[in-house]
Amino acid sequence: MEHGPVKIWVIAERSKDGALRRVSKELAAKAASFGDVTVLEVTGERVSGTAAAAALAARATGGAPDLILAGATPAGRDVAARLAATLQRAYLSECTDLAIAGTAIEATRAMYAGKLRARVRVALPAVASVRPNAFPLGEDAADPQVEAVAAAETPGLTFVRFEPTASGGGRVSLSEARVIVSGGRGLKGPEAWTAVEALADALGAALGASRAVTDAGWRPNEEQVGQTGKTVTPDLYIALGISGAIQHLAGMTSSKVIVAVNKDPDADIFKVADYGVVGDVFEFLPAFTDAVKKAKAGA
Amino acid sequence: MRFLVCLKQVPDSTTRVKVAPDGRSIVTDGLTWSISPYDEYAIELALEHKDTAADTVVSVISVGGPRTKDALRQALAMGCDDATLVTGDGADALGPLGIARALASAVEDLRPDLVLCGKQASDDDQGFVGQALAEALGWPHVSQITKLVAAPRGMEIFKEVEGGHEVWAASAGAVLTVQKSEKEPRYPSLPGIMKAKKKEIPERPVAGVADPVTVEIVKLEPPPPRGGGRVFKDGDTQAHAVELAKLLRDEAKVL
Repeated sequence: MEHGPVKIWVIAERSKDGALRRVSKELAAKAASFGDVTVLEVTGERVSGTAAAAALAARATGGAPDLILAGATPAGRDVAARLAATLQRAYLSECTDLAIAGTAIEATRAMYAGKLRARVRVALPAVASVRPNAFPLGEDAADPQVEAVAAAETPGLTFVRFEPTASGGGRVSLSEARVIVSGGRGLKGPEAWTAVEALADALGAALGASRAVTDAGWRPNEEQVGQTGKTVTPDLYIALGISGAIQHLAGMTSSKVIVAVNKDPDADIFKVADYGVVGDVFEFLPAFTDAVKKAKAGA
Repeated sequence: MRFLVCLKQVPDSTTRVKVAPDGRSIVTDGLTWSISPYDEYAIELALEHKDTAADTVVSVISVGGPRTKDALRQALAMGCDDATLVTGDGADALGPLGIARALASAVEDLRPDLVLCGKQASDDDQGFVGQALAEALGWPHVSQITKLVAAPRGMEIFKEVEGGHEVWAASAGAVLTVQKSEKEPRYPSLPGIMKAKKKEIPERPVAGVADPVTVEIVKLEPPPPRGGGRVFKDGDTQAHAVELAKLLRDEAKVL
């Protein structure tokens, strides 16, 4: 590696409303403290991970950066992995902390489905995806300048159609939500989600679920939090009627504040909770939703 | 249709993993080993296709030491047709780019139509090998797969995205990284287990496969302990709800 400031790319993503994703802004701000940052965005309709990586690799032929960062969203992880393979570089996924150490990077990341935490080191050049909410972002942070990189079609791959999930849309994405309201088997059936959604609306939260709930078909699979679902790192995670199986805990224990509500005082979820209520979740929900509205209004 | 499912043997998800005295690896004595959960979903997706189209061949492959044969045999017992082990000195130490190279050379010989991988292994949690294998083959890949549907003009590939599924079609070879199957991965049947015991598992040498990068684990440790939180046990649940909202705003400052 040449001396001088570390050259960094941040691969940015936009949410459905066209706004730059918060994680992209977090990374751009953090990367600026490491070295020279270029924020890139792959543009095009229904761009596959393969095509996005190819477009970025083509852009890198003019001068590849020392470090490439993407948000650890499903799309971000996908393009980062393919790009690292194209460039034959080390790739670290789902980092929760990252620092430059001379000509290497040191990162913290979960291993063994969140059961252990690893401090790892790789020599630059490298690629990393970083979990949302790993780095702070000032409330008044302006959007960074973003350079568009147009994607071409992927040879051998055709987009056929989009099939929306019945209950999908309208809400913040689970993997980078600041607040998540998650429901488990203790909610007894899909009809309970009317009350869960009311709370999520009051909090501006994304909806999550335990595996029992998605397996039973009460909620779509994409809402599953845990080992075979999504790993989440919100500021606030509210677990309603979730017992706390080890696979579920693996997906949410890095949340900043965990609230658990469960009838069973011995439920494992209480072992990781910052605040807990042992009681009837159906009694709790409307009262809490009301109290949240009042608390947010300053009462 | 020929599927090749790449699997990894990992500590079973219900098992406790302990850090070894060196602080950089885990204690492997007494561990239960299994097929990584996402790889099981990949196997299930391929076997579901075989359930409906009898001429389907589902092969499995893994890179690892001798113990890895147990995982391959498990896949055979689930109903896969044949298994290959890429093995030899250094097979267990190979990183994702090296594993992808070893698998790519096997794919060139085995000539599957589609390669399926779990979206990540539940030990290193990287999510790298599938994309790296596609790159090594010069194939496209599609991630987050939850469903495969045989259609007149080829396989429809369902990719989970925010708010629904994108449906993609591959005209030739592709690597698919699997998020989940709709049904739970099937258990091996007793006849399946008996048949799997008798099957030869051919080996391919890993020798000569290089890994261009090294990721050094500096320290491995349990996550910081949590809990010791404030739990409201007795009394009025509704009053606790009101109190909790105030604490979240004024103490935790998350509202």
